[in-house]
Amino acid sequence: MAALTSEIVPGLVAGGASCRMDADVAPKFGVGDKVRAININPIGHTRLPRYIRGKVGTVARDHGVFAFPDTSVSGVHRDPQHVYSVRFEGEELWGADANANSSLYIDMFDNYLESA
Amino acid sequence: MNGIHDLGGMHGFGPIERETDEPYFHDDWEGRVFGLFFANFAAGHFNVDQFRHGIERMAAAEYLSTSYYEHWLHSFETLLSEKGIVTSEELDRKQAELSQAGGA
Amino acid sequence: MAHDHQNAPPSETAMRVKALETLLTEKGLVDPAAIDTLIELYETRVGPRNGAKVVARAWTDPDYKERLLKDGTAAIAELGFSGVQGEDMVVVENTDDVHNMVVCTLCSCYPWPTLGLPPIWYKSAPYRARSVSDPRGVLKEFGVDLSEDAEIRVWDSNAELRYLVLPQRPAGTEGMSEEQLAELVTRDSMIGTAVVEAPAS
Repeated sequence: MAALTSEIVPGLVAGGASCRMDADVAPKFGVGDKVRAININPIGHTRLPRYIRGKVGTVARDHGVFAFPDTSVSGVHRDPQHVYSVRFEGEELWGADANANSSLYIDMFDNYLESA
Repeated sequence: MNGIHDLGGMHGFGPIERETDEPYFHDDWEGRVFGLFFANFAAGHFNVDQFRHGIERMAAAEYLSTSYYEHWLHSFETLLSEKGIVTSEELDRKQAELSQAGGA
Repeated sequence: MAHDHQNAPPSETAMRVKALETLLTEKGLVDPAAIDTLIELYETRVGPRNGAKVVARAWTDPDYKERLLKDGTAAIAELGFSGVQGEDMVVVENTDDVHNMVVCTLCSCYPWPTLGLPPIWYKSAPYRARSVSDPRGVLKEFGVDLSEDAEIRVWDSNAELRYLVLPQRPAGTEGMSEEQLAELVTRDSMIGTAVVEAPAS
């Protein structure tokens, strides 16, 4: 019998499938820390876009512990770690061609960051 | 991967085209594809990360010239084939069979 | 649901999808009725009217607004709009000084329980490419001329957090009920590519 039946649908849709993990993992960074997105170029799955790599930003919020996608893609292993909302100034990302008075916020896992 | 899906900051894609009162599904098959994601996910055939990566692995030209739910379909086919759940030969055969039978 | 194609023969893609669904059903892995239920559920009950209710509540109830900005997930759950692709929510507030805009450059991540399924433009290359590097240009294309005194803040939804913009309540809406206010709130204003217009007098 199929795993997903009509009866199960409403509960599944309402409940969702959060990637938050109940793991006691210490954060590497705190709000206000200056961080740099690391320069990695994996051929596998990552959620670190090229336009952020090597750029310096500031940790704005700690979202808590979530499964690291670059590992989850294995379908087998999970690597719980903190993910932060990190703020980057427009000029940091795009140089002189950036919009005036612009910023970008993106969610960075511990594994994507180093101290700056 | 440094695939074509990693679009942030790229130039040259032209204006943002918008449709008024756009339906969720522009054709019945899109709704089926949408539902098939949940069905396959619930069956444990793949997780969201694998599903996304399946799309990322599309050939760049194909990614840019096909529609959103065609991307989903491509990923289903890739993953189900890699996991031996539905082979591409089976799929081709069934598609030919249904087309011959009149398609409805 | 699209009915324009009823007289045309099914496309190659339609046949491919039918073949895939048929095979999975024959193998006992998929139940087509579940897919019917999903389509109906999303088409009839999951859409931006949900998010509009959240916004209208925040506009009329300052304590709710505070909770919403502090813990979007919990506050949105109070109104019953939780679920798939909205499990972990962050709500960001537009003010006179800051205008927020949401994108997913890598794919199409979007808060389904509050906004429904995303429009094609949100999932396509032009928006995904340009919103992060030229958000003011994108806003102009949408008819929003943002002052340079206001900071444009773009949120790239690359992880599993989903973002909802709390647009500014327009002037001229004093005394309106929550229901009336919700009717003013557009989907695009909750993505951040529009502002909520004052009601026509």
